[in-house]
Amino acid sequence: MNIYEHTYIAVPEANKKDIEQIEKKIEEILVKNSGKIHKTEDWGLRSLSYPIKKNNKGYYRNVYFEGNKDAVKEIESFEKYEDKIIKYLSMKLKNLPKEDSELAKEKN
Amino acid sequence: MKRKKTKKKTGFGLSSKSNLLAKKNCPLSKKNEDEINYKNLKLLKKYISDSAKILPTRITNVSHSKQKILVREIKRARALALLPYVGN
Repeated sequence: MNIYEHTYIAVPEANKKDIEQIEKKIEEILVKNSGKIHKTEDWGLRSLSYPIKKNNKGYYRNVYFEGNKDAVKEIESFEKYEDKIIKYLSMKLKNLPKEDSELAKEKN
Repeated sequence: MKRKKTKKKTGFGLSSKSNLLAKKNCPLSKKNEDEINYKNLKLLKKYISDSAKILPTRITNVSHSKQKILVREIKRARALALLPYVGN
């Protein structure tokens, strides 16, 4: 089991329900692969540095989870074909961060 | 005798210059310095030029090990559209 950090950008038109659905799907995949979510962060609506799929803004969300490589693969393949998500990135971590990130603080 | 004195002075000058060179420390290796992370945009923006290029260590004095981490984190921030690939 490894610790991963996963960030994704949703379209600016997405409402709370859409984001909840995405969150639920990610949790389902993790439970299926015997992983678990440690922490989720909401960075809010941010303007993008360059347009992605004709969007100039996006909802940023960040998930820290424990799992194996198959879970990461499955999450990424789900997000690839999800219309509400424009970009994602998953990274392997050594330790979980203790504090909230700067971007999450910025939103509050 | 006078010449010898001047030579001593120049010798002193050289050693002080070497001391100055040694003072050029890596700005990211200080104690209590923030962790280099793709979410820490304030820090990363110091190390990119106006046209969004990554600055070389010869200008910023960042140590080799820290520069490797810095480059990785800047590229992560670019992938997530937190930083631009090309600037003005």
